[in-house]
Amino acid sequence: MTDYNAMSDENFRREVRAFVEREYPAQLRFILQRARWHEMKGWWGKLHAKGWIAPNWPVEHGGMGLDAGKMLIYMEEFERHGCARPPDQGITQVGPLIMRFGTPAQKTYYLPRTLSGECIWCQGYSEPNAGSDLANLQTAAVIDGNDFVINGQKIWTSLADDATHIYLLVRTDKTAKKQQGISFLLVDLKTPGITLRPITNLAGHGEFCQVFFDNARVPRDTLMGELNDGWTVAKALLGFERLGIGSPRRPQYALRRLEAVARAKGLLDDSGFADRFIALKLDIEDGAALYGRFVEQVKRGEPLGQDVSMLKIWTMETWQRLTELLIEAGAEQGVVAGVQDVAGVETDFLSPFYYSRPSTIYGGSSEIQRNILSKYVLKLPS
Amino acid sequence: MTQASPAAAEHRVLLADSVADFAARGTDIARVRKLRGTPAEYDRAAWTKMAELGWLGVLVPEQYGGLGLGLTEMAIVAKGLARTLAPEPLAGAAVLAASALVAGDNEALKREQLPRLAAGAMLPALAWQEEPGGLDPAAVSCVATPFEGGYKLTGTKRFIAGAAQADAFIVSARAGKDVVLLWLPRATAGAQLELETLADGRAFGALKLKDALVPKAHVVASGKTAGEALATAFDYANAIVAAELSGVLERALEMSLDYLKTRVQFGKPIGSFQALQHRAVDLHIHKEVASAVLEESLAALDARPNATARAAIASRVKARCADAALKVTRETIQLHGAIAFTDEFDAGLYLKRAMTLAAWLGSATWHRRRYAALTVGAKGQVTRDK
Repeated sequence: MTDYNAMSDENFRREVRAFVEREYPAQLRFILQRARWHEMKGWWGKLHAKGWIAPNWPVEHGGMGLDAGKMLIYMEEFERHGCARPPDQGITQVGPLIMRFGTPAQKTYYLPRTLSGECIWCQGYSEPNAGSDLANLQTAAVIDGNDFVINGQKIWTSLADDATHIYLLVRTDKTAKKQQGISFLLVDLKTPGITLRPITNLAGHGEFCQVFFDNARVPRDTLMGELNDGWTVAKALLGFERLGIGSPRRPQYALRRLEAVARAKGLLDDSGFADRFIALKLDIEDGAALYGRFVEQVKRGEPLGQDVSMLKIWTMETWQRLTELLIEAGAEQGVVAGVQDVAGVETDFLSPFYYSRPSTIYGGSSEIQRNILSKYVLKLPS
Repeated sequence: MTQASPAAAEHRVLLADSVADFAARGTDIARVRKLRGTPAEYDRAAWTKMAELGWLGVLVPEQYGGLGLGLTEMAIVAKGLARTLAPEPLAGAAVLAASALVAGDNEALKREQLPRLAAGAMLPALAWQEEPGGLDPAAVSCVATPFEGGYKLTGTKRFIAGAAQADAFIVSARAGKDVVLLWLPRATAGAQLELETLADGRAFGALKLKDALVPKAHVVASGKTAGEALATAFDYANAIVAAELSGVLERALEMSLDYLKTRVQFGKPIGSFQALQHRAVDLHIHKEVASAVLEESLAALDARPNATARAAIASRVKARCADAALKVTRETIQLHGAIAFTDEFDAGLYLKRAMTLAAWLGSATWHRRRYAALTVGAKGQVTRDK
């Protein structure tokens, strides 16, 4: 077993770069839509065979056990090459939660299958009436003998139709106060009574689903953590997830597209356009300086505080403004669907615009992030 | 980001401590208010105190009696002082004028004047601009005519920072095809100084020159060296002005947050209202972005990049800090309400300082355009800030 943490940063970076450049499917570089399992299965297999599918997992569970510095290099190299995220919620989200809160049986069953891709996970948190106010969730699991009987619905479940399993927040005590009557379940999607309805998004893709539970009966041992203590499990957020969500890579990529279009059309000679372009370029570069500070913090082994929320606000709001200028730069071509030829530069104007829209909604909306900063960082009164 | 060496780290701690001590005991807002709009503009006794603390010599090489430190260290001083709104011309004299003199090639003059500058005995001001928004160091109408081995100077220089009590001016002038930088003691015959009071109560000097004599020994630099000296001084001063803007905005934001927590309306502290909370958060984010860019830029400038990179870095940090400081200080007025429109309340002092610093040495828009020209080759580059 290679001790990656003992390698020099340069050598490790070189090895990761060589691997992704050699093995990652070229047609899936820098795609905006979420990659589907049938597209990513081969790449997943290669990563798994090399022992690289779970950089964040400890070695004893089959991960790479990377320290913070190496983890950042791994992420940077994947982002640099434009590698899409596979349906990886098992690796990034529920896997580490299973390690921390799971029973020995849950660990033994799920962890190796999650690594191999036999178990593909999706997240069942949001509901039609529990979005930003997640603790208002109403999907109920009632104990009946050795089973839970689940009724209700989840929504915005990304790639549920690629998944085999769902990790669920359900209400198990209707009398308790909001957060206190919630439990965390690990559920097989083949369970009778569970049905999916794919939802087409603004970009025309069916990336997320509605998931309906109609008297879906699952065994008691699907419970992870204590009964009615699921909120604690769900809140155990991962530092890297919170850093990754504010990474400047996507706006940086969009900026390169915009610059290529602007050059092809001679727009940089128009001082009105150039002023807006350069202000956005600096917003991205300056946001990257802020990102760099949080990266340094992670490398020093310090936990990320609530202030990391500002990174998501800045990065995503900048990304949105950039995609708006990209549409404008395209003029009539900016609203033609599909890839357009702009004086020899192939550009998809609409997809970046569409895919930047939900970025200020998912993972805690910009308004929720501002509430968090107000309360925990500025310590303003409530 | 590079780690500072232990010695450099120690210097930074000592400087930060000395600035904090001076901010607590050496200056206050009452002093700032007393000096506003006066012909003195600032206090030479305070200037001497700053010299004793080593601050004026931060950028002066050790062989000329300075500390020979970098912009990162100077920024610690500048930012800390800016929080207090001290009116002394640190950026004008100890950065802009000092850097021009250091970058010149007159060894004798440097040996004579730089130790005095570091000691506070010689306060120089750089007289290089002529037209409003004229930021091209080569666009010089002031004429230096050869005379007895030296020059005779004629023309008008404007927007000279720190001029009120300057002991000497470093004047840019055209000598044939070349630009020359000339050392001109204040009392020189044919040199007449007028002051224009700024929004923040400080002043720009206007220097009218008619056949003012400059001996050969007072040529700071000529030709390419003069151009490079002006460009270096301009970029360094912009980085330090960015640090000052960052100090101004941080103090203004602290005032606003204190007020949001204590001012009660509708029976609650106004900081409990979400509309104001979200405004405050946005200001905080602007502060953090400005601070991250400042830190990164200072380190990059101290690594001595080439002239193009240096200019791009300076423009990037000035643009960011100017916009952030203007936004924060303007909103400081709004968040405080009517009281902040009074002269007796301090919020306005912070806004006015941010405005004068933002306008001096190029606005955010001007700097973004220069950045665009340097990094993506965008046309529409302006040398005049209109």
